[in-house]
Amino acid sequence: MMSVVSETLTGDAASSVLEARRAHNEKLAAKSDKARAIWFPIALLLLLLALPALQVIGNFNYVLHLVLFTACYVTMASGWNILGGFTGYISLGHNVFFAIGGYFAGMILARYGISTILMAPFAGLLCAAVGYLIGRVTLKTRGPSFIISSLALVMIARILFDHWKFVGGANGVALPANDLSVEWAKLPYYYAFVVLAAFSVWLSYKIKHSKFGLGLRAISKDEIKAESAGIDTRTYKVLAFAISGALVGMAGAIWGEYLTYIRPNIFLIILVSVNMVLMCILGGKGTIAGPVIGAIMIIAFNELFVATLGASEINILATGLLMVIVLLFFPQGIVGTLAKHHKLPRILNWD
Amino acid sequence: MEQIIQTLILGLALGGVFALMGSGLSLVFGVMRIVNLAHPSLIIAGAYATYWAFKLWGIDPLVMLPVAAIILAAIGVLLYKLVFEREARSAKYSEMTVLLTFATAMIVEGALGGMFTNTQRVTSPSYATDAIFIGNIFIPTGQLYAGIVSLLIISALALFLKYSRFGNAIRATTQNREAAELLGVNVNLVCIMSFAIGIGLAGAAGSLVSFVFSFFPAKHWEWVAVLMSLVVLGGMGSILGTVIASFMLCVVAAFVGAYVGATWSTMTFFLALFLILLIRPQGLFGEKPELA
Repeated sequence: MMSVVSETLTGDAASSVLEARRAHNEKLAAKSDKARAIWFPIALLLLLLALPALQVIGNFNYVLHLVLFTACYVTMASGWNILGGFTGYISLGHNVFFAIGGYFAGMILARYGISTILMAPFAGLLCAAVGYLIGRVTLKTRGPSFIISSLALVMIARILFDHWKFVGGANGVALPANDLSVEWAKLPYYYAFVVLAAFSVWLSYKIKHSKFGLGLRAISKDEIKAESAGIDTRTYKVLAFAISGALVGMAGAIWGEYLTYIRPNIFLIILVSVNMVLMCILGGKGTIAGPVIGAIMIIAFNELFVATLGASEINILATGLLMVIVLLFFPQGIVGTLAKHHKLPRILNWD
Repeated sequence: MEQIIQTLILGLALGGVFALMGSGLSLVFGVMRIVNLAHPSLIIAGAYATYWAFKLWGIDPLVMLPVAAIILAAIGVLLYKLVFEREARSAKYSEMTVLLTFATAMIVEGALGGMFTNTQRVTSPSYATDAIFIGNIFIPTGQLYAGIVSLLIISALALFLKYSRFGNAIRATTQNREAAELLGVNVNLVCIMSFAIGIGLAGAAGSLVSFVFSFFPAKHWEWVAVLMSLVVLGGMGSILGTVIASFMLCVVAAFVGAYVGATWSTMTFFLALFLILLIRPQGLFGEKPELA
């Protein structure tokens, strides 16, 4: 595009147009910067990094577990958001990557004793590769077909992992626990997940503000128009699928060691992928802060239900009800709805 | 040779039941473009209604069938009024409805699980465990009856769609919603009625399922993809296609189960679903690739 402009307009005229455009863009950026409180996410991150100091004065393992669990889901929901939120392809099968990451790193830990935290980036790479291959195939479909094909993917993966002798079939594999004392045992996983969550939020911000992210958003608005505007939609979609798969896979890698076992029915249950979807929709699909807020709310909600009612059936029922209510009345989620009415607090404007 | 015939018969018997399970799904998609992921969970609701009627009062599942169909049809009307009617004008209608039906499936599963626990259930009328022997080949009577009843219901549905005035209105809406509306068809009424019929068929299928398979609330996740594969292969919206597809896939699955291994027989459906979506998204009898 740019080269065409500079060829048709000569010399000064072209550079003055470019200059004006740059000035305009800077003005826009300055305006959106003013609406943003960049200190807030950083302060939040620092607070979370300092939180384990509580262990010195008492036993706060449950608090750490909750933060860790939330950070795990923030990673997964942000990952899902790159495909489901930015690109508009709703996948109900993202827990396949959770399983692949978990099994890859878990099996390496079980066989060679290498910590999953070190292996997590490699699990991410593996999931990106798998996601790329699967995406090449399934992203040919669109809309409801894609959703159905993603469901079929989970079913296929479940059968494969249930009957794969090498990874222990339906019984899974037990992993060695680390040899730290009880109050510090959670710390490595805690930091790994908090860093991973921060990384995934940062990555979604970077993607959203890149040419790539702009292309993804164009695809979600209207794929055919995006394609005729010169966006290589096929490559963009598949890359988005691979990146989102990689983030989910990294979370899965560490999650296995944290639980000290890997088994199909912790990774490949439908509730895991529903939670990812629901967190994004509740928080606000396609926003940066949305998955984070959604994850915090859903985890709190789940803990409340399990603590007060105890039954997982009621939890499923309540999750379904919540999903219907959100879809019917706040399809844009908390962040999206607040932003539409210009009531989004500055500290939540991470976009 | 005997084993081949035996496998074929078992596959066909199962195909009859799956045909009824899938046809309601197909009807609802055809008329309203709703991919109803809650359909299998409602089938299980119908199965539970039949189970308790049998267990508490000894009512035969086949007698209970129309009652279950009516109960579920009423639930269908309620669901449509509460959830789907207001979505009709949404821009991302089809994707929204998929997520909504998915959430509905969770609600139904959770409610059934909360009330009836996760134990495996099955109704056991005398014919369910019986079999007819022809030489060395046996035909399980439960599946035979279920298959016959299901084909009778589907034939009745087909006749209704073909010859009644209201059936014509439904078919017109399936073919072209706007044109049907222009010609004076009350599209909203057609939608409510066909949703009720579709969910009613789920109830009827539930009655048959209750003595053919053992079931528990979370079982529907297995069936979602199985039923989707039938409906997608048949061509979304084509009931005849669904019936043919269910016989085809069930026979293939029976052969895979007999010669490759029982664990791979359900895999047939999932792989088929995957391949059809990629190779021929309109299915066997679909007119155009509406989903893709």
